[in-house]
Amino acid sequence: MTELKPICALGGAEPASRRIGALSLREDAGLGLASLALRAGAPAPALGLVLPGPGGWAEGAGLAAFWTGAGQWMLEFPGGAGRDLAAELAGPGLSVTEQTDGFTAFEIQGPAAELVALLEKLVNVDARRFGPGSATRTGFHHMSVFVIRRAPDRLAVLGMRSAAGTIWHALVEAAERQEVPA
Amino acid sequence: MLIPHPLLGLRDAEEFTYLGDASLLDRPDPHAPDAAQQFYEYQHLRDNPAGIHRELWFHEQGDRSWLIVTRNTLTHEILGAELARDAKGAKA
Amino acid sequence: MTRLSGGLIDRSRSLTFTFDGKTYQGHAGDTLASALLANDVRLMGRSFKYHRPRGVIASGSEEPNALVELRGGAWQEPNTRATVAELFDGLAARSQNKVGSLGFDLLAVNDLLSPFFSAGFYYKTFMWPRAFWEKLYEPAIRRAAGLGSLTHEPDPDAYDAGFLHCDLLVIGGGAAGLTAALTAARAGAQVILADEDFRLGGRLLAESAPLDRPATDWIAGIEAEFAGLPNLRVMRRTTVWGAFDHGIYGAVERVSDHLASPGKRVRQTLWRITTKRAILASGATERHIPFADNDRPGVMLSGAMRAYANRWAVSPAKRVAIFTNNDDGHRTARDLLAKGVEIAAVIDPRPAASGAGYRTIQGHVTGTKGRLGLSRIEVTANGRSEWIDCGALGVSGGWNPNIQIASHHRGRPVWHDGLQAFVAGPGGPVGLIPAGATSGQSSTAQALVSGAKAAQAALADLGITATLPDLPQAEDQALNLKPLWHVPGKSRAWVDFQNDVTVKDIKLAYQENMRPVEHLKRWTTLGMATDQGKTSNVTGLAVMAELTGQSIQSTGTTIFRPPYTPVALSVLGGGDTGTHFRPRRLTPTHDWASRQGAVFVEVGQWMRAQYFPRAGETTWRQTVDREVLATRTGVGICDVTTLGKIDVQGADAGEFLDRVYCNAMKSLKVGMVRYGLMLREDGFAWDDGTCARLAETQYVVTTTTANAGTIYRHLEFCRQCLWPELDVQLISTTDAWAQLSVAGPNARKLLQRVVDGFDLSNESFPFMACANLTVCGGLRARLFRISFSGELAYEIAVPARYGNALIERLIDIGADLGATPYGTETLGVLRIEKGHAAGNELNGQTTAQMLGMGRMVSTKKDSIGAVLSRREGLVAERRVLVGLQPVDASQPVVAGSHLFAEGAAQDTASDQGWITSACYSPHVGSAIGLGYLDNGDAQLGEQIVAANPLQAQQVVLRVVSPHFVDPEGGRVRD
Repeated sequence: MTELKPICALGGAEPASRRIGALSLREDAGLGLASLALRAGAPAPALGLVLPGPGGWAEGAGLAAFWTGAGQWMLEFPGGAGRDLAAELAGPGLSVTEQTDGFTAFEIQGPAAELVALLEKLVNVDARRFGPGSATRTGFHHMSVFVIRRAPDRLAVLGMRSAAGTIWHALVEAAERQEVPA
Repeated sequence: MLIPHPLLGLRDAEEFTYLGDASLLDRPDPHAPDAAQQFYEYQHLRDNPAGIHRELWFHEQGDRSWLIVTRNTLTHEILGAELARDAKGAKA
Repeated sequence: MTRLSGGLIDRSRSLTFTFDGKTYQGHAGDTLASALLANDVRLMGRSFKYHRPRGVIASGSEEPNALVELRGGAWQEPNTRATVAELFDGLAARSQNKVGSLGFDLLAVNDLLSPFFSAGFYYKTFMWPRAFWEKLYEPAIRRAAGLGSLTHEPDPDAYDAGFLHCDLLVIGGGAAGLTAALTAARAGAQVILADEDFRLGGRLLAESAPLDRPATDWIAGIEAEFAGLPNLRVMRRTTVWGAFDHGIYGAVERVSDHLASPGKRVRQTLWRITTKRAILASGATERHIPFADNDRPGVMLSGAMRAYANRWAVSPAKRVAIFTNNDDGHRTARDLLAKGVEIAAVIDPRPAASGAGYRTIQGHVTGTKGRLGLSRIEVTANGRSEWIDCGALGVSGGWNPNIQIASHHRGRPVWHDGLQAFVAGPGGPVGLIPAGATSGQSSTAQALVSGAKAAQAALADLGITATLPDLPQAEDQALNLKPLWHVPGKSRAWVDFQNDVTVKDIKLAYQENMRPVEHLKRWTTLGMATDQGKTSNVTGLAVMAELTGQSIQSTGTTIFRPPYTPVALSVLGGGDTGTHFRPRRLTPTHDWASRQGAVFVEVGQWMRAQYFPRAGETTWRQTVDREVLATRTGVGICDVTTLGKIDVQGADAGEFLDRVYCNAMKSLKVGMVRYGLMLREDGFAWDDGTCARLAETQYVVTTTTANAGTIYRHLEFCRQCLWPELDVQLISTTDAWAQLSVAGPNARKLLQRVVDGFDLSNESFPFMACANLTVCGGLRARLFRISFSGELAYEIAVPARYGNALIERLIDIGADLGATPYGTETLGVLRIEKGHAAGNELNGQTTAQMLGMGRMVSTKKDSIGAVLSRREGLVAERRVLVGLQPVDASQPVVAGSHLFAEGAAQDTASDQGWITSACYSPHVGSAIGLGYLDNGDAQLGEQIVAANPLQAQQVVLRVVSPHFVDPEGGRVRD
């Protein structure tokens, strides 16, 4: 293993986390990511999960995937940031690109109603219909992010690593405003 | 505006980048004897109809697909949208 | 205090507020307007043009007169309607548009000069002499006109934006809106009910007995049911202010405007509501009847007077009169009478109109008296006039449905003869259904039914079946209106209070042939104030129709634009201000660079290190000169992560790149890099970068920082729209890799210390080689031997999270080699010294030939832009990139200067080119520049003049090779 010490997208040695009212926000520095695109005529690879269709996110054993475009997915490997995913996944008919460091992942946990209210302030999707298993790329404060509803009580926002500070600020601010008593 | 994405359903136009007339799909044959004239027309001459218009939109903040959207420029009514690669493939 | 009995105010909660410094008391549930009236304050402002004393005329958002400044300091907000400002404890309000006090306004002199301020006055008067306009006329007019004042301090409040989606949006929470929301929500649809008021009910709150039971009881019952319906969202204090394409509506929720201090709350939230259907249940606004001197404080709308009495338990005076052309005015008289207010008279021009318990005069109001508020009215009947004492006059000329939003998409309102008003017509926003008053229903009973039926119809469109709810018995009276658009007379009769437009002004417009409604508006400014003519437009049209002898419908209709009511610019910004105005992208070495004291510069969204000053350096030039020399003599390190990186894979990746770059890429060997130039299809140069072939079917291409997004979009266009048959996949990896440029004679020695047993010798890793390798004990990395400085140079890429540690390591272990970090300034100097084109040179007017790369455009293959790059005009282009150096080394070189032959006239005809980039070159020892020059290759060694007329600068330059450093290119290959 290299002697160089990595830093998290937000700049810290350790990932950031915040508890704001009923919501907990956490930077997931350990998430391994690789993009997968099928070459012309190639079948979907056997990854241990059925690759989801448009707007979908699916979870398998040790990995998950969400649809990013026609014939394209992002594969997620919890705790897999240290792996050489592009090499591991390489195979005939596949275009795989290492993306672990391309994105910053923020995991948000809280009661379903709170997550719906938060989503309404974050992105222009129909929050009530964006149920578990949904994933989409959409506009977010003049950039784009992936939003994933992993479970009724879990939401993830993945955005450009370089803009981690902007994304985190926007998430924290939205959460704080939500926690102000009416 | 809402764009009826063929794969993702109605999506806000803010997610898209507009390019223009879908005739840009019909890039001329560069080896034709009158290629220069054809490219000149392809590059610079466009119809600008007051009415039904087929045009290219890029789902930049989405799935990065190029769509051909058929829009009435007078009313903004959108009559349909298809993936550009499908339209191109069907033509080929 | 002139409080009446009853009302919907909470008398147990007293609130203290100030108006123009004086302290008053009101109650919870009051608006500023109702509380001021309760304190016998009728004078609330001064008019826009004539500075006439003005009082409140309405009770809702249509108010044209009572505009005030709220709060103080940076929180001060001008032009707030007192009728919608919810009272809170400690509210401080001030009148505006006055010089001196509200009671004695020095600019009231404008009123005496009114013959000079008639319609079209500005157009005719302030034209000549031309020189007076900017210095005299405009400043004077701006000072005299206008309403409130701005603080000129940054807005201290926070704002928010959000997105909602629903099946049905109900706009307005009055009788029709409530039944619409109830019907749709019971059917299970996703429903949003938005109302601008802080209390649901609309006009139901303003009437004494609109239903067979207390209206508040009925509303409370519905609200209780609403609370249990999770599919319904009720948004109070929320104004839907605009309709946009495809069922999208803009709304502003006033989250904390009604609170003394917002605390951590936002002030307002901007909502973008995407709907499948919407119901416009926005009710109607009463119109007044212009008569002589009808703008005195105390003259108000009859329905507003009734609302103040019933909802806020206030009468503007103890003795009031009513002037009406319909039965609604009599309703006001009855309600006020029942509350113990004395009714001086009801003046009604209709024959045989009368009411019980008060005097009815069949006639007209023809004049008023009272300096700062109404004291008497003149009533003329059967040719005889009498003066009647009263402190307030309620005027009712009928009701105009609030159809603004229905006409936001140029939907033309249609004339309704029965109501003598415009109702929503066809051609409005798709999916918007009018209900209640906007659809021509005028009674409470009709509104209740209309709302429920509209909801049922809207849901039927969506395939949802809804059942009509049981509705209470309700008031169902006709207005019996007899049109009366103004009372003829010689004195001024106001039509538009906010913009001071009178019947005379409309007559003048008629005389000057400004008769079409759009001309009428612009000539007189009728309806062009912040209220968009809610209380005046239709009346103005009718007066014009009378003059032209045409019907009102054929005279024209005005349509409206968003916003329905004024929207603060701050909330449209949605809270993205200051550092959060746009995304801020940080490079992987940002943290380290900050610790080194780097000065940063914004490059698009990126923050890049501009230079790294050291102790003792007093100017940025000292720092940059040091960084440049350190790189040229030792080794310099720069973060170049911001360059766009696109991963191109697939069996046809090479073929694809051949078609998008003007030069060949398919022939590139694995493990090698090539400089690439992309043209636009019109043949001009677009973007440049490198293309590295990492594997048989994998390339990584770089773009300039500025074009990263557009080039990616273009490549996807080529892939999907031009050649979908090619097997190629694209994905951006810009953020994934921290990429550092390591340049200078010691670059190899330094890198040798971090690579894991990789042979960097020239033989095994020559110029333009690339490789995957590991560094620092097993870290995945990519190495490219490319140079933009003219020095032996590499770019090394590692996963972004290691960028910070890698630059720290390189500087650390390279101390003996002179390892020096450098920023974008030095990057610029190095590339100018080497004659490398960048954004300044690739400005969209540049051909490959101008860059000296004409031969790069392959004729053996087709590529984007190849055909049109061979156009006659482009081939004939004689300007080429040259280096420029002052003959007198102490002279500056300024980018943007134009080039002329010595002694030639300095005009367009003699123009030989321009300077694109300039810097001080520590290598050359003087300023240098790059530029495009006519026949530049033939002028090498000649002198030329750089003219910079902005600074009256003339500098004699020598034309030299653009490669100031190592023109033979030996260093990069060593």
